[in-house]
Amino acid sequence: MIIYTVGRILQTLLVLLVISFIAFLLVATLGDPLGILLPPEASLAERQELILRLGLDQPMLGRFLHFLWGMLHGDFGLSYRTQQGVGAMIAARLPATIELAFVSLLVTLFVGVPLGIVCGVKPNSVVSRGVMLVSIAGITLPNFVVGVLLIAIFSVQLGWFPSFGRGHTVDLGGWTTGLLTVSGWQAIILPAITLAAFQVTFVIRMLRTQLLEVGQSEHIRFARARGLSERTVWFSYAMRNALLPTITMLALQLGNVIAFSVVTEGVFAWPGLGSLFLQSVQSADIPVIAIYLIFVGAVFMIINLFVELSYPLLDPRLRKGRA
Amino acid sequence: MTAPLLEVRDLSVVLSRTERDLPVLDKVSFDIAPGEVLGIVGESGAGKSMTGVAIVDLLVPPLRRSGGTITLAGDRLDRLTPRQMRRVRGKRVGFIFQDPMTSLNPVLTIGRQLTDTMRRHLPVSRSEARERAISWLTRTGLPNPARVFAAAPHELSGGQRQRVVIALALCAEPDLVIADEPTTALDVSVQAHMLQLLRDLHEETGTAMMLITHDLGVIAKMADRVAVLYAGRLIETAKTQALVTEPLHPYTAGLMQATPAPDETGVMRVRAIPGSMPGIGAAPSGCAFHPRCGRAQDICRQTPPPLADAGGRAAACYFPLHREAQP
Amino acid sequence: MRSLIEALRGRPGPICAAVLILLFIAYAFVVPLFSADPFSMAGMSILDAFSPPVWMDGGTAAMPLGADDQGRNLLTAMAYGLRTSIMVGGISVVIGLVLGGALGLLSGFVGGRIDAAIMRLADVQLAYPALLLAMVIDGIATAALGRGRSNEMSIAIVTVSIGIAFWVQYARTIRSSVMIEREQEYVAAARVTGRTNTAILIRHILPNVMAPVLVIATINLGIAIITEATLSFLGIGIPATYPSLGSLIRNGNAFLQSGEWWISVWPCLLLVVLVIAVNVLGDHLRDHFNPKIRGRS
Repeated sequence: MIIYTVGRILQTLLVLLVISFIAFLLVATLGDPLGILLPPEASLAERQELILRLGLDQPMLGRFLHFLWGMLHGDFGLSYRTQQGVGAMIAARLPATIELAFVSLLVTLFVGVPLGIVCGVKPNSVVSRGVMLVSIAGITLPNFVVGVLLIAIFSVQLGWFPSFGRGHTVDLGGWTTGLLTVSGWQAIILPAITLAAFQVTFVIRMLRTQLLEVGQSEHIRFARARGLSERTVWFSYAMRNALLPTITMLALQLGNVIAFSVVTEGVFAWPGLGSLFLQSVQSADIPVIAIYLIFVGAVFMIINLFVELSYPLLDPRLRKGRA
Repeated sequence: MTAPLLEVRDLSVVLSRTERDLPVLDKVSFDIAPGEVLGIVGESGAGKSMTGVAIVDLLVPPLRRSGGTITLAGDRLDRLTPRQMRRVRGKRVGFIFQDPMTSLNPVLTIGRQLTDTMRRHLPVSRSEARERAISWLTRTGLPNPARVFAAAPHELSGGQRQRVVIALALCAEPDLVIADEPTTALDVSVQAHMLQLLRDLHEETGTAMMLITHDLGVIAKMADRVAVLYAGRLIETAKTQALVTEPLHPYTAGLMQATPAPDETGVMRVRAIPGSMPGIGAAPSGCAFHPRCGRAQDICRQTPPPLADAGGRAAACYFPLHREAQP
Repeated sequence: MRSLIEALRGRPGPICAAVLILLFIAYAFVVPLFSADPFSMAGMSILDAFSPPVWMDGGTAAMPLGADDQGRNLLTAMAYGLRTSIMVGGISVVIGLVLGGALGLLSGFVGGRIDAAIMRLADVQLAYPALLLAMVIDGIATAALGRGRSNEMSIAIVTVSIGIAFWVQYARTIRSSVMIEREQEYVAAARVTGRTNTAILIRHILPNVMAPVLVIATINLGIAIITEATLSFLGIGIPATYPSLGSLIRNGNAFLQSGEWWISVWPCLLLVVLVIAVNVLGDHLRDHFNPKIRGRS
């Protein structure tokens, strides 16, 4: 088990290294640091000096190692657009995105899971049929259309929620949070629903399929034959079996969720990482794009690794013999 | 004879379809006395398993019970609400499933599955349930019961899992155990041990047993009485000894000559008798066995023979092999 | 083509979808033949700006769905937008197919290190969703080609970006088909009789991979159209001065607040119906050509 874990961690680090190298190549070949750092009237000597100082005369491999070394020490380069450190820009945007992801996860858990259970336990009920019908919309509607429709209904027609921004935020020592003010909660609801629309649909459909399958299994029949209550049968016995594939599939969808967070932030002008990425793409701000790529890749792979390594907690079949 | 523990009268099960219901079990009646072992025999598709499943009301749609009464120690099981029925299952009627590889929940420990079942039916604390669970694992002959208690099903062999399944069926001390082909899915080498275990536990606990099997060898070793099913109908019941030595129904006699063996599709069939048992909804008029029967007359083709009682045994045949049982 | 018609026989849902798609294509390519480009000076009439749909107060029969902020007839503007969206979607699918097909063939035929390299690249790419990747490629292209880009160039960039983002699936499918087929006896026989690799490819392998590739392409067409619309909506695809479904919605979105809902809602609706039709057709084709999963929901 330990060998396996270490192996998976090394594998993840290797892929991250490859991604970092691709990102580095982007910055190295498409960037023009001299044009940014020097005034146009700079002399040749000044240029030469800066090239030496930045190590631009070094071979590619050396420059890559330098790039990695910098990242490990919190130096993520400078944005072409704002001339600020990319690390600081990302740090400033991170709380907004994490809060959005967190609230949309809450929506997924408190809406998707119960509805998925209803659809799996009572597949022929009116509620289930209605939910399945609506869930088709969640799958086929493009993410930004969901956002536009929500704005049209809930902010323009009904005026319940704002259509952009985070509302009032409170600064908690470097972490700006919108979750402590009323206007912050009002502002986060529509974006969170937009971002959750896909996950909710996905969880409902996965749980339904899994529960329907598990519900017909022999061990569930045996649990019933032992007189266990329906509550125990579904919630302790069937759910345990249905949860693992659902979590696995959801973790595999994490990339899509990250992409949708960019779209959602764009639609609602949510001042998070996604908006930063969009602005950077619009202005071809390669250093920010590159670091964002590494960041997203790292988050994606670390969460996947985490999910995979936590399987044994959910399924005893995986507890032994993996080394 | 003491009052029966289980009385099944005219139990019928149908396969519901939109056009018309197809009969699966047709008015099956039998009794089981307290502490008795009743063997139910028949080929695949004769309705043996359906009988067991119908008693505890676990038929899966489109199968459903369409008539008859089931009385357990004076209580009408067929009239219970689903909630009341869940109190009967496990507590008063234990059920042993056929395939130990699929009967246990793969993601829960053996101990959890045992203690959940006991705590549902018996007034025991968590620690008492644990003690009892380990004692049951010991009684079913599992080595190192404390380790098995904490183990997940995949860590055990097929035979060990079947011992766990038996412990699960018996742990709430039911009066009746329905064992559906308890040895079929096991290796031949393990089958004898499992039968011995069932025998021992039966004698220890005094529980009655309904043993569903296609294997007459198992019946001969275990059962006090036997009921033979053919195409959803009960065609003969008798004490095991009498049935084995003097079968009345020609089909039973055919069964004796050749223990059913799996055909190329894995379905158990009696090869000594020409032809095969009709499938669901395909039974001929009259006696369902007449197309395969050498003794069949016109009456066999027209009216199904009643199950005629004759001195503690009965057979549904107009022309039984032994004269004295003729209706 | 015959098998395509065969696949639709007796299936009302997919037939409706196919007919809808044909109608949309006709709308997108016929209307522009008879009307002035609403994105040129001739197509705009500022006097009609914000004219509502015909059934509302102030609507005119000449503009049954209303007009946008520049007085463009939405019925015509949407045809132009749909034309762009269908073309971008279609061409990007072809680019993904050609790129993925070539890499998949190379991978399957040559094997060894080249195969390993291509497949690892595919693995790394799969860590990123296609939508995000298309955005990144778009950003890189902008950086490489300079910022002041023309409409035509931005359309080309978007199309290529989406195409590149989708090559992996084709490559994997074709690679596995090639690997299975090249072990078959008839391929060995063809090789013995002196056929070249190219001949074997065209005669034997191509027909076998057509069905799965066609299915993936249909499904990807829907995703590509959404991707284009999303990019354009977010302002990193086709600029608002040129019509596509995404840029029309983006343009109309600015007026959603002030009550002129029709400018964004019509193209939204058109996009959704188009994508649903393509998906229904794609799902049906997938089930039809893959008997193993036929009948499942």
